[in-house]
Amino acid sequence: MLELDAITMRFGGLTALHAMSLSVAEGETLGLVGPNGAGKTTLFNVISGVYAPSGGTIRFGGQDVGALPQWKRARVGIGRTFQIPQPMRELTVRENLRVAQRFGAGKEDPAALDEILDLLGLAHKQHADAATSLALTEQKALEVGKALAVRPRLLMLDEVLGGLEMATKRTFARTLETVRARFGLTMVIIEHDIETIKALCPRVVVLNFGQLIADGTPEAVFNDPQVIRSYTGDTPA
Amino acid sequence: MKHRMVVLVALVLAYGAVPLLLGSMDYVMSLIIAALTIGGVALAWALLGNLGGLVSFGHAAFFGVGAYTSAILVVDHHWPVLLAMVAGGVGAAVASVATMPALRLRGPYFALAILAYGHIFRILAVEATSLTGGAAGMLSIPGFPTLLGINLASKTGAYALILTIVLLFAWLYGLIRRSTYGLALRAMHDSELATRVVGVPSTHLKAAMLVISAFMTGVVGAFNAHQINFLDPEYAFASSWTVLPIAAAIFGGYRTVWGPVLGALVVFLVDQLVFKELMPSGHQLVFGVLLGGMVILGPHGLLPLLGRWSKKEASHAGA
Amino acid sequence: MLELILQALYSGLLAGGYYAMIALGLALVFGTMRIINLAHGELVLLAAYVAFEMERSFGWTPLASIPVALVVVGLTALVIYLLIGRIRQDRELNSLILTFGIAIVLTNLILMIWSADIRSTSNSWFMDGVVLGDTLFSMRGEVIFCVIGVLLLAATYWWLNHTWQGRALRAVASNRDAAKLMGVNPARIEALSFLVSGVLATFAGVAVYTASVVFPAVGHNLTIKAFVITVLAGMGSVPGVLLGAVLIGVGETLTTTLAKPSLQELTGMVIFLLILFLRPSGLFGRKGMVKK
Repeated sequence: MLELDAITMRFGGLTALHAMSLSVAEGETLGLVGPNGAGKTTLFNVISGVYAPSGGTIRFGGQDVGALPQWKRARVGIGRTFQIPQPMRELTVRENLRVAQRFGAGKEDPAALDEILDLLGLAHKQHADAATSLALTEQKALEVGKALAVRPRLLMLDEVLGGLEMATKRTFARTLETVRARFGLTMVIIEHDIETIKALCPRVVVLNFGQLIADGTPEAVFNDPQVIRSYTGDTPA
Repeated sequence: MKHRMVVLVALVLAYGAVPLLLGSMDYVMSLIIAALTIGGVALAWALLGNLGGLVSFGHAAFFGVGAYTSAILVVDHHWPVLLAMVAGGVGAAVASVATMPALRLRGPYFALAILAYGHIFRILAVEATSLTGGAAGMLSIPGFPTLLGINLASKTGAYALILTIVLLFAWLYGLIRRSTYGLALRAMHDSELATRVVGVPSTHLKAAMLVISAFMTGVVGAFNAHQINFLDPEYAFASSWTVLPIAAAIFGGYRTVWGPVLGALVVFLVDQLVFKELMPSGHQLVFGVLLGGMVILGPHGLLPLLGRWSKKEASHAGA
Repeated sequence: MLELILQALYSGLLAGGYYAMIALGLALVFGTMRIINLAHGELVLLAAYVAFEMERSFGWTPLASIPVALVVVGLTALVIYLLIGRIRQDRELNSLILTFGIAIVLTNLILMIWSADIRSTSNSWFMDGVVLGDTLFSMRGEVIFCVIGVLLLAATYWWLNHTWQGRALRAVASNRDAAKLMGVNPARIEALSFLVSGVLATFAGVAVYTASVVFPAVGHNLTIKAFVITVLAGMGSVPGVLLGAVLIGVGETLTTTLAKPSLQELTGMVIFLLILFLRPSGLFGRKGMVKK
């Protein structure tokens, strides 16, 4: 479904991604891990069109999407969240989703919005102001809700569970699993908590210094000496 | 229901009471017509500022292009005036397409790029002598026709016409504001990135607001040309057509639909009736003070302040 | 024809000298505060009218009125600075509206005090012809103020690069937070940039009055011209400002010579739009005007 070929991203003198190649199959849930600054969010930004990569190709559903502007990537079915929630200020929760649905999915469908609000536990807050009246969990839920309202085929979640308490985290992870099954999504999840990754992702990819250093099942990857070294702070050999 | 009653009463007053009470006073009617003309441009400016998030210092450009387009079509090609006015709006909208490359500039640069366009259009109007009459301008531009038994060329008729134009624009503005397009545009203010990732073509939407705003301004410019029956480049592209509407919109609160129109009525009438009497030359100084004062004291305009105050009054009365 | 073109180049070059003074003042304030002071041209104009008043009332030569103009313009610049400090939100756009308002106030004050008449120095010494080589003609005032402009620009350049205050100013312009960490007080540096901008405007104003003509609406044109030049220069380099100023000066005189005088104003605008669209980082600069 998603194929990255030799993606390179340079910012001035800094290379955030080194000729990275990765493919994600339809229906897969992929965990993306690595130390801070490894290039995980940069990768999301490249796939969703926030940045134009310095080199390489991005294919999505067989189509080269590298030249598409950001808003068109949403329309072809790439949904994403931001690590720091980006609610549309001045609008209510429901209006946030309406905008996402109208422009991302192409037409308004109130019933589908109701379902998303229900699944994410936001129904009772749907007329609340999105910028000021949500708790952290609700902000994260809204972030996921906006991405779902565009009817994505690929959903990229950037630390959507970050900063939540353990119990909340588990509930939220179950919600994500429900959502994935309900909408038949392919997912890529950036997450620091290894237990959560193990619970959600049959396959894990590790980034370090903009390079892919491991790819496999959680068990295999988290026992890889190179991966362990990367977390203890050594530079790659 | 209550809202509807208010609107109905306002309409009856505007269309009935004003002409009946003031219709015989030519000078006062002229002032009100001029104030509504500025109100129309202020509304268009505010639509771009509020929904498009773009501050323009060059609406005089669209005003002038609209005025000239309509005047030329009527004088040289004998178009009916009302149709030519719509074409004036279209002309201004086309001119706004030429300014679109400026949309990728950050706010202040956009504002000043539009200002540059205003100057360019003015110079072109001076130079294209065969089309525009050059610096000497166009004289005896035909006025409004009689429609449904109403002589639109009379003061009362012209008043009814500009009132209708402004009301139609306000209605259109409100319609856009309430739609999902309006929601997306409002959301773009603070979080353009957040709207783009959900598929909102933010630049296209801004461009659309620019075109609509230019169209409205062009129609009002055309109205003005046929109302005063005269045009020259200095007048049609005068910076007043930029300054007064901005002052009006900011004074009345540019985030609301009615603020700019009411702002124009207050600002223009007070200026003409009070300050022009006190300071025959340089009374535009007041607009400068107003702009600066509003930015520092009440960035959301005067009407919201009044609104808050009257709400407070009402709640006191209720208690 | 060649002679005409050479003369146009020469006149444009001379005009570039005082255009550069005006533009550098605008660019300095933009650098430290990220604000386009739309009343900058009116500051220049104010200095010109002070020179006019001194000449009319006391018969002073324009050069002698510079100290008086410095005080008047410096104080006005400080008032503008203080008013901008009162803006609470969205300073980038609100300051534009605020300084636009201040520009209107100043223009109209000038109109009320000195009327709409066109003014220029009546001091014939400045208007005497100076001939360079055999063919290149100019007025003495033009040459003097071009030289003053270049010297002042060089002085500002030196000041920016070799004094503590100048370095602090550049530090604030390039990275406000880092400058704070280095112990620089950005508010004081901003005030300083406004003052220096006022000094440059004063000299420029007396230059305009001596080498050209003034009337109330000129201020607006000067602001736009200065803005165009800073856009050319890419907002912030002194040599860039000088080059941009000369380019505009020469462009204008060439337009006057080769096409017609009424198109002169168009030159700057067209160059401005071309730069904005083709090379939005400016001809000589790197900092962008385009949205990130």
